[in-house]
Amino acid sequence: MLFSSGTPWLIVIPGILIGLIFGAIPGLQISMAMAIFLPITLYMDFMQAMLFLTAIFTGGGFGGSIPAILMNIPGTSSALATAFDGYPMAQKGEHNVALGIALGASCFGVIIGYTILLLLISPISQIVLKVGPAEMAVVILWGITLIGSLSSGSVLKGMISGLVGLLIGTIGYSEAGVTRGTFGSPYLLDGVPVIPAMIGMFAASELFRLARKDYLVEDRAARQVSVRLVLVGFRRALANPWIVLRGSLIGVSVGAIPGVGSSVANLLSYMATRRSSPNPESFGKGNPSGVIASESANSTSEAGSMATLLALGIPGGGATAVMLAAFAMHNITGGPQFIREQTDVVYAIIIANFGQAFLLICLGLLFIPVLANVIKIPMNYLVPSVLAMSIFGSFGLTGDLSGPLTVLVFSLLGWVFKRYDYSVPAAVIGILLGGMAEDSIVYSYQISGGQWSYLLERPVAVVILVLLAVSLFGGKVAKFLTGRLGR
Amino acid sequence: MTNRHLIALNKRRVADLTLLVLLAGIASLYCFDAARASTHIYNLIMVLPLSIAIFILCTVQFVAVLRSESIEAEEAREPTGALPVIVLFSLYVLSLNWLGFDVGTAMFVGVFLWVHGERRWPWLIGYSVVFAFVLTFFFSQMLPYPMPMLLPGLANAYPF
Repeated sequence: MLFSSGTPWLIVIPGILIGLIFGAIPGLQISMAMAIFLPITLYMDFMQAMLFLTAIFTGGGFGGSIPAILMNIPGTSSALATAFDGYPMAQKGEHNVALGIALGASCFGVIIGYTILLLLISPISQIVLKVGPAEMAVVILWGITLIGSLSSGSVLKGMISGLVGLLIGTIGYSEAGVTRGTFGSPYLLDGVPVIPAMIGMFAASELFRLARKDYLVEDRAARQVSVRLVLVGFRRALANPWIVLRGSLIGVSVGAIPGVGSSVANLLSYMATRRSSPNPESFGKGNPSGVIASESANSTSEAGSMATLLALGIPGGGATAVMLAAFAMHNITGGPQFIREQTDVVYAIIIANFGQAFLLICLGLLFIPVLANVIKIPMNYLVPSVLAMSIFGSFGLTGDLSGPLTVLVFSLLGWVFKRYDYSVPAAVIGILLGGMAEDSIVYSYQISGGQWSYLLERPVAVVILVLLAVSLFGGKVAKFLTGRLGR
Repeated sequence: MTNRHLIALNKRRVADLTLLVLLAGIASLYCFDAARASTHIYNLIMVLPLSIAIFILCTVQFVAVLRSESIEAEEAREPTGALPVIVLFSLYVLSLNWLGFDVGTAMFVGVFLWVHGERRWPWLIGYSVVFAFVLTFFFSQMLPYPMPMLLPGLANAYPF
C-alpha cells in the first residue's frame, strides 16, 4: 500500500512544509493548520488523509523549535524547554548548531517514538487505560518540581516566581462553579490564555531589552548562516543517543496521557537531563543537551498521542482531536476494534512516519538556512516586526483582543521579573501547569473522597511517584552511599 | 561605601521590597476574592495553600532584603532604557480596537523605526506599510474570525 506507488508520499511533502510553516510562525498552531486543511482530506482515502495530517504533525513538531531558538518565542507549549538553552545558544552565535541539534533530535526522536509504538502499541494503550486523575496529578507534580531547579540566582525568588505562575494558572472558573481572580474581566473567565502569556513573558520582555542592541549576535562573523554548522549540530544530536533515548521514552509515555502530553514531556526530559548532567549549572545558558532533551521528547510525544488515538480512540490534544475528526469523516472509529480489524492501516501509518522523519531531515536542511537569516536582520527592524507578529499570533490563538492584551500584561510582568532577578521560566511553567494541576487534584479528591491512601492503591501512580523520588533524590542517595562505602 | 553606592543600595532595596509587597498583596487579594466567591474545598484546594506559601516566601525574602548589604546585583540589573519601547508597545496594543491591525501595525513599526534612528524615509515608510499589509493580509486570510481593521478591503476571507 505504502511502497507500491509514490502517490501517498506526494502529499507528505506539502504536509511537512505546512507543519514547518505553521510551527515556525508564532501564534499559528499545528492543530490550527490541521483544522484548516482538514476539509481537503475529504478528497483523499483514509490512509492518505492520515499520512497528510501526521506529516503536518511531524513538521510542526520541529517547526515550533525555530522561533524558540531564534527569537525566544516558544510558539507552542511543547517547545518551551527548547527556548531555555536554544535561545542562549543563538545569542552566542551558535544558531546554526542549535537548529541542527533540534532537527536531529526531532527526527531521531520521531524514529525512536514510532519504533516504540510499532512494538508496544497494545501495552501502551492498556497502561493509558489505567491512568486517571491521580496519575495525571503526580505527572504534573513532577513537572512542577522543575520550578525549584530553574532559578539561576536566588532559590527563594525562583520559588516565588513559580508559585505566582501556578496561582495565575488557576484564574477563572473553578470546579466549584464560581469565578475567582478575574476582577470583573470577561476575558479571564476561561483563565489566562497560556500561550499568549508565554509569548509575553519570554519573547516580548526579551525584545524590550534587545531593542538597544544593533544585532541579536553582535559579532559579525558569528552571524553567518552555515549548512555545514547545521549538519554539525545534527550530528551532535545523534552523538548523544542516551539523551535522545531518555527523551523519547519520556515523550512516548507522557505523550500518551490525554491532556498532559507534549507540554509536560519536554519539561520532564529537560529536567532529567539537567539532573544527570555533570554541569547542571550550564543549563539555561546554552547547553546543547537541553535542546536535545526537549526536542527528542516533544517530537516523540506525537507517537505517544497517536498510540492513545489509534488504540483507544481518545484524542490527547488539539492535533489528535482534528485527526479524530478525520477518522469520523471517513466513517472510522479508533479503538481496540480498529486495531484488530485494520491492523495493516495502523502499521502503515506507523511505518509511514519513519519515511516522514527522513523527509523532514531533507526539508529541514533546506528550510533552516532560509529561516536562520533572521539573525542578520538589524534589531531596529527585527524587534517591532517580531512584536507585531506576536500580537497577530496571540489574536489568532484567542480570536479576540484578550490575546494581545495578555501578551502586553505578561511582557510587562516578564520585564519586571527579569529586572528584579525572578525566574521567568519558573513562572511560565507555573502558568502552564497551574490549571492542569488544580483540575487533576480536584478530580482525584472527588474520586478518593479526600483519602491520601487512595494514591497507594493506584499502581501506575506509585510507579510514577517512585520515579519522581528517584529523579529528585536518587543522585544524592547514590552519592551518600558511595561516600559511606568508600570510607 | 560611597554616598552614590548608598543611594543605589537604598533605591534597589525600596524597589525590591515594593515588588515583594505587591506580589504578596496580589496573592492575598486573589485568595480573598476566591474565598468570597466560594469557600468550597474544590475552589480553594490550590488557591489557599499557594497564596499562603507565596505570602510566607515573600515575607522571608522581605526580611532577607532588609538585612542584605550587598549591592553587586545592581550592576547586572536590566536598565530602564527599555521604557520607550514598552510605552510604544502598550500604545500599539491598547489602540488596536480603534486603529485596527492594519494601520496600527504600520504606525507602530514606523514610529519604532524612527525612534531607533531610521531616517531614510522611503525605507521607513516602505517597510512599515509593506510589512503591515503582508502580515494583516496573511492573518486575515488564515484566521476564521474577523480582525479589527481601519481600512476597508482587508476584510476576512476564509480560504476553505
